[in-house]
Amino acid sequence: MDVLVTSTLEAFRLLFTGNVEIWEIIGISFRVSTLAIFSAVPLALVISFFLAYGNFFGRRFLISLFNTFLSVPAVVIGLTLFILLSRQGPMGDFKLLFTQPAMIAGQFLLCLPILVSMAHAAFQSADRRAWETARTLGAKPVYAFITVPSETRSGLMAAMLAGYGRIISEVGASMMLGGNIAHYTRNIPTAIALETSKGNFAEGIALGAVLLFLAFLLNSLLQYVQGKGSINP
Amino acid sequence: MIDNFHISFRGISKSFGKNLVLDNAAFNITNHDCIVITGENGAGKTTLLRILAGLEKPDHCQITVDNTTAEPWRRLRKRLLKSIMYLHQQPYMLAGTLRRNLEYAAKLNPAIVDRESSVNKAIHWAGLQALETHSSASLSGGQKQRVALARARLRDPQILLLDEPTSNLDTESREKTLHMLREFRDCGMAIVIATHDPEIFGSLPNGNLHLDDHRIIYDDSRIVDLDSVRKTQHK
Repeated sequence: MDVLVTSTLEAFRLLFTGNVEIWEIIGISFRVSTLAIFSAVPLALVISFFLAYGNFFGRRFLISLFNTFLSVPAVVIGLTLFILLSRQGPMGDFKLLFTQPAMIAGQFLLCLPILVSMAHAAFQSADRRAWETARTLGAKPVYAFITVPSETRSGLMAAMLAGYGRIISEVGASMMLGGNIAHYTRNIPTAIALETSKGNFAEGIALGAVLLFLAFLLNSLLQYVQGKGSINP
Repeated sequence: MIDNFHISFRGISKSFGKNLVLDNAAFNITNHDCIVITGENGAGKTTLLRILAGLEKPDHCQITVDNTTAEPWRRLRKRLLKSIMYLHQQPYMLAGTLRRNLEYAAKLNPAIVDRESSVNKAIHWAGLQALETHSSASLSGGQKQRVALARARLRDPQILLLDEPTSNLDTESREKTLHMLREFRDCGMAIVIATHDPEIFGSLPNGNLHLDDHRIIYDDSRIVDLDSVRKTQHK
């Protein structure tokens, strides 16, 4: 019990005294995950929109495929990309393995199925009349396409926050693709794994607290976006 | 004022799976027309309107605009969406204020130069001044109908299609809706209304189409499509 209390106190000291190493790890984590989510969102919106409103052969198969990818472990994504990016792999010439772009690619693939699946559900639950009203008011398909997400923004925001929550806390793909290199590819989850294995619980707890605070922040944001949702007596 | 036009729809057919909804329906429409479409539930009134609006792909349809025939569906839909506007039975309100809904419609009409003034005029025309900053979600059914008609004024289509526009409206809202539709017709806009209750529209319509057995039965000789009628009688 003493270890837990001492480590927690030390963790908060590290956070609030501006420990450079800790804040650098936090910075890397946020940079990589933010770039990954922002690069995945546009593609996910287009895919989910066509899955929701399109009428083409293989649509149901694609929906099932994306739903299946929801349960793919991060290490499997990591392993697949590792093989592709390793020197012997087909993309080895790009020399991306153990770099931040490789981590971004891994996190991109991890969050894409979540974004597609949740955005697809949001589009499907959205009123089809939004699209039709835009079209019948004279909107070109691209403009109508922009209108519908703005009508279903709470569902899409929920998708984005869920995707972000998934990638900022994943360890498998980041460890395999980033290699946990200090000052470069060491992010919060890989640092927690490393510090815990070394017995430096304070650093692990400090970084864990940041993740926990982030989760709280994202959920609060989601609550705000989704509105009251209460029934007036 | 809307320029003169003459649009002719021929051979409109639509099935949903094995369920035949429309079979070779046809009719003509020109400026100042106000046509009421009647028929039982499931007769295909809404489907017909949605096809005319370019929102539902028919199995077959040919459209002739001022003697020019448009086909295939891609071209046809483009033509329909350009000149026809469809109002849902329960008009959809975009998120945000009532004013935002009208600004959205004004933005999409390239003919509108002074957007703010046009929106203000539409708000006054629909008698919605007191509600312009209200959230669209808080509006009543009648108010939403008026917003939808104000959007139609800003859109200024050649043909306005309305699906049961007076259902669930009180007498006052119904009268306002009829008054607004009359103004549209006087400006040259053609109006097509699907309804269960044609009497409500009084002297507004000048044509009546009745959908029966998936076909259009013509009541008004001026808009009769003789070919189609002959074919129907022949069968």
